[in-house]
Amino acid sequence: MPIVEVSLTDLQRLAKKNISSEELLKALELMKGEVEEVSGDSIVFEASHDRPDLFSAEGLGRALRYLLGVEEPPSTPPVSEDTAKLRIVNPPRYRPYAYVSIVKGVELDDEAIRQLFQLQEKLHATYCRDRALVSIGLYDLDKVKPPIIYTSVSDGRYVPLGYSEEMSLKEILEKTEKGVKYAHLVKEGEYPLLTDSEGQVLSFPPILNAEWNKVTPETKNVIIDVTGTEPHLMMRVLNVVTYAVLERGYGKALIMRAKVIGGAPDNPYPTTPHLEGKLFSVHVEDVESLLGLRVSTEDIPVLLKRMGYAVTSITSDGVKVWVPPYRVDVHGVVDIIEDLAISYGYNELPTETLPPTHFSGRSSIERLTRIIRDIMVGLGFNEVVNFMLIDPDILKLATDEPFVTVANPKMKTYSALRNCMLASILIAGKVNSEKMGEVEVFEVGDYVIPKQHDAESVRGMAFLLMGDKYTLTDGLVTAKSVALTLGLEYRFEPYEGKPYIRGRAAKVFLNDVEVGRVGEVHPEVLVELGLTKPVVAGEFNLTKILREIIERK
Amino acid sequence: MEIMKEERVLLPERQYRLVKALADMEGRAEASRLAEAVGRKQSDIMRDLAELESKNLVKVLRVKIWHVCLSPDGRRYLKEGLPEERLLKIVKARREFPSVKELAEACGLSRNEFAAAFGRLRKYGVVKVVSGKVIYSGDGVEKLLSDIRRTRELLGNISECIHVRELPEWVAELKRRGMVEVTESRVVEVEATETLRELLEAGRVSEAPLITRITSEVIVSGKWKGAILKEFDLSIEVPVKYPSRKHPYVEFLNHVREVVESMGFVEAKGPHVETALWNFDVLFVPQYHPARRESDVYFVAGETVGVVPSDVLERTREVHERVWKYRWDPREALKLVLRTHTTPVSMRTIYSRKEGEYRVYSLDRVFRPDTPDPTHLMEFHQLEGIIVGKHVTFKHLLGFFKEFAKRLGLGEVRFRPAYFPFTEPSVEGYIKHPKLGWIEVFPGGMFRPEVLYAVGLKNHNVAAWGIGIDRIAMMVLNMNDIRNLYTNDVDIIRSTPLPKEVMR
Repeated sequence: MPIVEVSLTDLQRLAKKNISSEELLKALELMKGEVEEVSGDSIVFEASHDRPDLFSAEGLGRALRYLLGVEEPPSTPPVSEDTAKLRIVNPPRYRPYAYVSIVKGVELDDEAIRQLFQLQEKLHATYCRDRALVSIGLYDLDKVKPPIIYTSVSDGRYVPLGYSEEMSLKEILEKTEKGVKYAHLVKEGEYPLLTDSEGQVLSFPPILNAEWNKVTPETKNVIIDVTGTEPHLMMRVLNVVTYAVLERGYGKALIMRAKVIGGAPDNPYPTTPHLEGKLFSVHVEDVESLLGLRVSTEDIPVLLKRMGYAVTSITSDGVKVWVPPYRVDVHGVVDIIEDLAISYGYNELPTETLPPTHFSGRSSIERLTRIIRDIMVGLGFNEVVNFMLIDPDILKLATDEPFVTVANPKMKTYSALRNCMLASILIAGKVNSEKMGEVEVFEVGDYVIPKQHDAESVRGMAFLLMGDKYTLTDGLVTAKSVALTLGLEYRFEPYEGKPYIRGRAAKVFLNDVEVGRVGEVHPEVLVELGLTKPVVAGEFNLTKILREIIERK
Repeated sequence: MEIMKEERVLLPERQYRLVKALADMEGRAEASRLAEAVGRKQSDIMRDLAELESKNLVKVLRVKIWHVCLSPDGRRYLKEGLPEERLLKIVKARREFPSVKELAEACGLSRNEFAAAFGRLRKYGVVKVVSGKVIYSGDGVEKLLSDIRRTRELLGNISECIHVRELPEWVAELKRRGMVEVTESRVVEVEATETLRELLEAGRVSEAPLITRITSEVIVSGKWKGAILKEFDLSIEVPVKYPSRKHPYVEFLNHVREVVESMGFVEAKGPHVETALWNFDVLFVPQYHPARRESDVYFVAGETVGVVPSDVLERTREVHERVWKYRWDPREALKLVLRTHTTPVSMRTIYSRKEGEYRVYSLDRVFRPDTPDPTHLMEFHQLEGIIVGKHVTFKHLLGFFKEFAKRLGLGEVRFRPAYFPFTEPSVEGYIKHPKLGWIEVFPGGMFRPEVLYAVGLKNHNVAAWGIGIDRIAMMVLNMNDIRNLYTNDVDIIRSTPLPKEVMR
């Protein structure tokens, strides 16, 4: 979740109220923000992923105005009548969409520019999936000659933002930090480019803007572009940024829309930004059936306005609500009801404990697990726990069976899922071998067997006896004790295979079903693991015992 | 236990001999001499003395003793004469010396001895110093000789050493002149009490055998009658014996199972390797969501493609494309991942059970890419639960958290708004940690209509929660390192006591 830094004085100016930092911290809780640090004027908080409108001071200031009752949320967007144009000519096929919006009448300063830059960065990092899906740019409208053109070129030259000399697009990809970082998002010979009507380069999206048209404290009118692959996601991002810039007019700025000319025939937005917002009816019944809270039709508008919703009408059984375009997290009535609950106060909501109405129960495998653990502890074994993620090399020492490997592990030690319990119990043997003369441990846990289309989770138990005094007999005694306690018939047959010594290992049959193996671990394996004492070990498949013996009986 | 005077007192053999010996020594003796009398070392009889004292038969006293012993000089003076004695002889013979220095050189005494002896001679007027010359006057010789006699007598009385409880005054003078050395020590003295004296006089003390270990022979033979069964000293540390232990963390997990079951829940299980569909898509997490990035999910290596119910796949596609409006990719949904939470278990449960009134939980392992440290693991347990019903609401979820916290002994719960892609409203429940303050432990919410649509549940609400139980486990088991929950180290397992939360 994005970490956002804001200035209290800047927020006071946006909120039009001299709020204290305490008031702000309280309000942030209602907006799902987690305060990380307060030092002087600076407040750092972790914003909730679903509220990109709160990724900068502008949206936070606006939310505070409504929450604290400084203003009522408007029910229409502040739009100017005139429109601009965006021409799309031969756009890159892999990034075909582009939209712009214009905000007129802003007053910027360093803090405002810093905040808008922060918003852009946080959106890029989250919703835009590191610019892969959407890329955002802001420019000074008065420096460019409209209309804006989005196109693709094989190369071009301009002075990139933050540089003093002209570079070719290829040079930008090789020499600038952003160029290197995002080069994988563009295709050679088909570079996306935004220019003005005179061919001056505004930006090489999603890489780098130009220096000449950047937003400065003198900028009065801002043009915002989004380019990318997902038009609806782009529009949500554009709306959030447009409304943030709008805040910098402190009530006087207007949004100017742009007509998209040309481009993909499937373009869903002929005019941008798309400021319709959403209309929902919220009924008293809906609130009650979701929250278990009965509110009146008079209460709902009060609760919702605080959260930034415009209530357009009140009916006998509820209200009609306009959701502003920047609230991209609101998909349905449940989202509005959540805000209503937040406005009401989570700790003021009624709570009710449902008494049990049905027979509860443990899963049968957990019941068997409990019995097996009792037997093993009764036999004098200590229970241990290991991770399911394991070093594949240890698995290969214990078995030849296939196992699930993680494609993106952080450490080799935890890069495979265990496909038996035996490998884990050998690790436990190693951990304890130096601490005590003899080790008697067991573990009950899950392991995973890869299948054709998925992987099966199996519950197993492994035990280990380590020390000079143990032989296969002790392992067989353990197996026999388990069988007798469960009331099952047992039988042993010779077993040959990893990790046991040939002639000193057995398959274990319970009621004629093969459910496990016991054996003396081969010295070769012990040496490989760095063990110096003899080990007798065994493993049982509890899932099999449950399904094929106990449940079948 | 105090013994009454009228009783007959049975004592084990050695204690009996000790009180007899004490009586022979007139009721007061040093412990060392008592030990000698019974043929033991003093340290051997101390326990007996303590027991006799606890029966009010003796008093054990610790007394300070001064040891005054002749120093090597003292011994020499006794043999060769005191320095003043020797100096007197010399001045008496020559009568006059040109200077003190010459006298000092001629007398053969050490510097200090000469200074002390010459001082004494002058003090009694035996010699006078006249314009630098030392002149024998013959006055006061008798007094000096009597002083010398007294000192010799004292030294002679000491002989080698004397041991006294009070230091006589004259010792100080001898000590100052380096003739004796004084040390102190403490000795244990034993004194018979009035009770013991009376009991002995009345012949009421007698000897009985002491039995330290009761054997079947002792019981059958009747030897226990008239014997003393030795009392145990509970202050002595006993050896440690560790029982074979169930793992404390597994015990805690089973305790949690019991608590949840007591609230009417049935346990469900699901696979650790899941399709992204069940893990994310069904839960309304768009395919571009950051939670699905490689840094947050373990993907299964290889080309295996999952199989999922076609109706779930279709409804999921529909709801993603309708609400999120992006090109939903079924190949992305069929990728295999290590489940990042146990919510897929709830999803599968609802899909198979559909409408009805039920409560299901699961408590198993989930996986998220991380490097182990005291607060992070790449694998941990999640306690997942759903309450499904026609009239289930958010207030029942909040009520569940409060009741669950109460039953686990976690105290008061506070609620804060939260965000999870699949629930609305969403909540985070906080409990008060003794050291860390309010910590978030209970995330939950009401499943979104889009989620319920995907698994085909109609006209029902579902309250859901997915608790990272390890944090609570650390709190309850009083552990600071999450890795110790998953320990295979028998030392740690043995030394972790079961907390009262688990036992009650």
